[in-house]
Amino acid sequence: MPSITLRGIKKSYGKVVAADGLELEVENGEYLCLLGPTGAGKTTALRIIAGLTKPDSGQVLLDVRDVTHLEPEERNAVLLSQRYSLFPTMTVAENILFGPSIRKVPELDSRKTLVELLDLVRLTKRADSYPRELSGGMQQRNALARALATNPDVLLLDEPLRALDARLRIDLRHELRSLAKALGLTVIHVTHDQEEAMVMADRIAVIRNGRIVQIGTPREVFDDPVSPFVANFVGQSNFFVGNILCSRDGRMTTVEDDKGHVVFARSSEIPVDSKVVVAIKVGNTRVVKKSDAFLTGAVERALFEGRVVHLDVNAGDLGRYSVKLPASRRDQVAVGDEVGLNWEIPKASVFPYPEGGLEEELRVD
Amino acid sequence: MPEVELVNIAKRFGKVTASADINLKVADGEYVTILGPSGCGKTTLIRMIAGLIEPSEGKVFIAGKDMTGVPIEERDIGYVFQNIALFPHLTALGNVSFGPIVKDMPEEEVKAVPQRYLEMVKLLDRMGMFPDELSGGEQQKVSLARALASGAKLLLLDEPLSALDARVRMDLRYELRRITKDLGLTVIHVTHDQEEAMTVSDRIVLMRNGRIVESNTPEALYLSPQNLFTANFIGETNLLEGVVKEVLPDRSLVELRDGTVVEAKPSKFRRGDAVVLSIRPERVHPANEGLGSVIIKITYMGTYIRITVESDSEDTMLFDVSTSEDRVYSVGDRVNLIWSKRSGILYPRPPEGVEEAIKLE
Amino acid sequence: MKRMDWVVDFISRKGFRKGWTVFIVAFFLFFVVLPTLYVVTYAFTDWSAIETAVLSNPETLSTIVDSVVISFEIAAIVTVIDFLAGLPIAWILVRKEFRGKEFLDTLIDMPLAVPTAALGFSAAVFWVMNPDPVPFSLSVISSPFLLIILLHIVFSYPYMVRSLAAILEEIDDTYEVAGRTLGASRLTAARTITLPLFRAGLATGVILCFSRSMSETGGTMIALSTMANLGIGEAANFFTGSTLIGEWRSLVETDPTYAPSLAFVSILLIALALILLIILKLVIMKFHLPLRKVWPMQEKMLSRGIFPKMKDGGALLFLALIVLIPSFFIFTYVLFSDPASLDMGALSYALGYSFLVAGVVTVIDIALGIPFALHITKHRDRASSNVLDVLVNVPLIVPTAALGYSLFLFWGSIGTGGASFVVLILAHVAFTYPLVVRNVAGAVEEIDPSFEETARTLGARPIQSFHRVLYPLIKSSILAGAIMAFTRSLGETGATQAVLGRNALTAPVYIVSLVKADELYQAGLACIILIIVSYIFMLLLRYLTKKRKEAI
Repeated sequence: MPSITLRGIKKSYGKVVAADGLELEVENGEYLCLLGPTGAGKTTALRIIAGLTKPDSGQVLLDVRDVTHLEPEERNAVLLSQRYSLFPTMTVAENILFGPSIRKVPELDSRKTLVELLDLVRLTKRADSYPRELSGGMQQRNALARALATNPDVLLLDEPLRALDARLRIDLRHELRSLAKALGLTVIHVTHDQEEAMVMADRIAVIRNGRIVQIGTPREVFDDPVSPFVANFVGQSNFFVGNILCSRDGRMTTVEDDKGHVVFARSSEIPVDSKVVVAIKVGNTRVVKKSDAFLTGAVERALFEGRVVHLDVNAGDLGRYSVKLPASRRDQVAVGDEVGLNWEIPKASVFPYPEGGLEEELRVD
Repeated sequence: MPEVELVNIAKRFGKVTASADINLKVADGEYVTILGPSGCGKTTLIRMIAGLIEPSEGKVFIAGKDMTGVPIEERDIGYVFQNIALFPHLTALGNVSFGPIVKDMPEEEVKAVPQRYLEMVKLLDRMGMFPDELSGGEQQKVSLARALASGAKLLLLDEPLSALDARVRMDLRYELRRITKDLGLTVIHVTHDQEEAMTVSDRIVLMRNGRIVESNTPEALYLSPQNLFTANFIGETNLLEGVVKEVLPDRSLVELRDGTVVEAKPSKFRRGDAVVLSIRPERVHPANEGLGSVIIKITYMGTYIRITVESDSEDTMLFDVSTSEDRVYSVGDRVNLIWSKRSGILYPRPPEGVEEAIKLE
Repeated sequence: MKRMDWVVDFISRKGFRKGWTVFIVAFFLFFVVLPTLYVVTYAFTDWSAIETAVLSNPETLSTIVDSVVISFEIAAIVTVIDFLAGLPIAWILVRKEFRGKEFLDTLIDMPLAVPTAALGFSAAVFWVMNPDPVPFSLSVISSPFLLIILLHIVFSYPYMVRSLAAILEEIDDTYEVAGRTLGASRLTAARTITLPLFRAGLATGVILCFSRSMSETGGTMIALSTMANLGIGEAANFFTGSTLIGEWRSLVETDPTYAPSLAFVSILLIALALILLIILKLVIMKFHLPLRKVWPMQEKMLSRGIFPKMKDGGALLFLALIVLIPSFFIFTYVLFSDPASLDMGALSYALGYSFLVAGVVTVIDIALGIPFALHITKHRDRASSNVLDVLVNVPLIVPTAALGYSLFLFWGSIGTGGASFVVLILAHVAFTYPLVVRNVAGAVEEIDPSFEETARTLGARPIQSFHRVLYPLIKSSILAGAIMAFTRSLGETGATQAVLGRNALTAPVYIVSLVKADELYQAGLACIILIIVSYIFMLLLRYLTKKRKEAI
């Protein structure tokens, strides 16, 4: 039974369409990441579920209850805002007790909840501190504990890691997900960071211009994107534009551009001769011997990034291709070298050439 | 020309010491990143170089000149702000023209220079727009063009990308490096994002608690960090606590908590020393023998799979396998892990405990 | 416990909330806006009376026109001087860190603590040419016009500095720093970057100063009477629009033929104030400073060395000599005058009456002003809220004497003529209500709405989230608004006289009558008592606002 259902949600602010017929079902106990660029309508969707924004049309269901016209406090869906919104006049403990005290939970029970939650988020020693005295990570945990204290059915997280340092963010991803899983919560987590979504989500819903363009497990969204936009937004991609030369045995597609370069991609239903875009993840593009290559080019730049070396390869009139070379192979390639590029054929997707042009399709801001 | 030198810099705000014992030389044309967690004093440092605040002790030299008492506007620097700070009442072109106008450049340059830099950031077609009509990424590009158009050869970037979306940030990093290198500028860039620092810099200066921890090329910091904090902060790493069993000319042998003996680089430790072994996830491989462990989590990362295990030595470890590998892993499976003796690095076990030594905030 | 729940549930019901909102808005429209503008209807109902009494009577007409013109001239000059002298001080307060900044900050507000009636007396004694001058007084002014300008600067200057400082605080100083990293000198950066972003603050400052100067009655009357008593007879026949209303209002009780003239001058002042302020707002927002022109060398020179020091020094000297010393000169006066006995009975009755009025007014302001402020801030996206927001300012900019007369006519027409205390309360509510609304609305707007939203998703009813989350955050602003309303009501003369005529028994009116009777020593002493009482409230205000800053 889905825990959250959105049906045909529409919302516009003047000319700006923030939700354009949103359809979404989140299963009970699922951790769903709503991923999209700024202005895609992620936060609007979250606020509509929380009841803070009224949709122009459409329905919001929590379990089977239609809550479209209910006030936020009648929904039992807690929102954790980007800046956490810890009440500055209350201590850590008072913040956590806010929900229970509103609900008139007996003193003894709420004390027990407090002790448990403080322990859970490792803030027992800071119970009497004020939010402004806490570090960013502690504030986040405090806000989380406050949300959990109301025993919510649904937890709505609006970019919960954005305000934190990059390195800390990586550690907290695991912590946040484990906590939600341990408590069996249904979570919608809004983010613009595709890596965060990949690591944390059971399913990812990619949202753009107020619509969900793809929804699936991280693996599905990464490996089988439905459009060049998704291919590029979830893990960077290299692109090759050309026409389909032939589709063989339903196993692979051969694509040729007008200069006669030929590359191979997975099979597709698109008819022969159509103009198409081949997308291949930067991380799946390989540096190979020229004899095995689909394309060749000169290494323009090599940047050491830790586990990989980022290469920019200038493939002449095909433009620039990026490659992530495993750091262990870094001595094999130098700036100025002519190198060959290829990929595993099933890892390259083929899409009809987008109507508004490729650049417009890929715009992320 | 614009090399930068900081000599014995210290800054105190009341009783709080924001930075201390800072000595740093940045060569002409070098791209240096000052990296560190929130509150490590990196912003204070760059603000002292710009002249926004004066150091309590020590001196800042730019191009060999002592900057003590020299006002901001005479230091000839380009400064890019975290909050972008484009003048809201001026268009993109107006913003970029501000420097040339107030520097009293000749009429024809006031016309030509701003357009040249707007073209460099690929925003010539948006020069008539006001800041609030531009996206975040575009705004930051205009602000970069504005800093460059004033003719500065020293560019100070104060967390220039942190207000932007992750995806935009990624593209802009490469842009930033390309443009500054093309122009041969000296750049000092402040950030808390180690990935960003790795990608853009010639050299990274890692700070913590107001002091410089370590300073080296990204490659050296990643491959052979001198410090436990560095090893954990720059890229992820597995940290295993143990005791040195034997040091040989080509390797060190370390006994872990469960008695398993593993290998690491040769070191100066002696038998019996308490150590921490650092080994990067991508250097750990499953094998038929090695450190026994149980899989507790599998994460699909797109181009590789990251596996989290609980080892017999009661350490939580990460390792990566390729997506095209034939073997199928599941949670609960037992795996044995090995690594090359060259990729394991030993550090003395810190007296305050490992957790405290790598704490991020 | 159970009963409280029932109450919370009841007031959280949609029906109740709608009804409550309607009531609040209706109160505002019917008790604040409508009475304020009611006098305008006189022009439609009794136009013929105005025609015979004013328009066909050149002498009356010229008196009216002269007084109104004088009011505008004074207000304009005062505003310009306030701006020029106030800007450097505002800049110092916001952008500079130095020892004694707190002290300077307090000094600026001090004239606000002094009721204008006391200020008028104090300034007149300090400035007016006197054959037998009080020790340390300057005693140089013999023109009533100049005297009133100097007086109005004293009490409008703090408003200008506060408005400019408030907006300056909001303009992120990274803009200016960004300008300087691009090579602009301090002056160039301030002029080309910060000043253009400044217009909104300038508009507020100008409007506040202008309307304060137009409105002021009590202080002006006292200053002029003092001047006349000191032997400069010209002052006796010198009227601003507001003092003219005060004068005629006291005459109309015995001679009803003044009624049409009184209505006419009130309408004129209200209409002109509204029109002028609309124009002003438009002009300032359209006004472009010469940005393109830059004189790098000259401006660099002016940013250096002695020039900034001269500018700051000049501004501080102005503050001391023109604003502060005249405000408190009354202490010197009383110290060096021959003692005379003060009728303590009459004074304490007047003080008690004033406090009673101010107290009741403040309670009404708080009870009905907070919900109204919440209403206009919560629905910023609605056009109706913006209209209400603009309307709130009307009683602030309309001269209080005109407002008072308008209220007198309005409530008189509904037949409450007898209940003078009630009408007086309503009159004071009209011009103090906006102070509370402005303060609370300003505070609410600064608070991130996500606090309340989070509280709602945690299960709190709107009333609970206000009480538990928002209220603790804006508590001090509510108190600040209350104290402002209280002191403003305490010091008001014009409106009180316009409503009650000679029957008015408030403290400032009592002081005016003492001055008119040439009992200057007693007037001075009464002023000092009033100053001390007001000052205690002012200290309380500063203490509370400071506490708020620390809490956030």
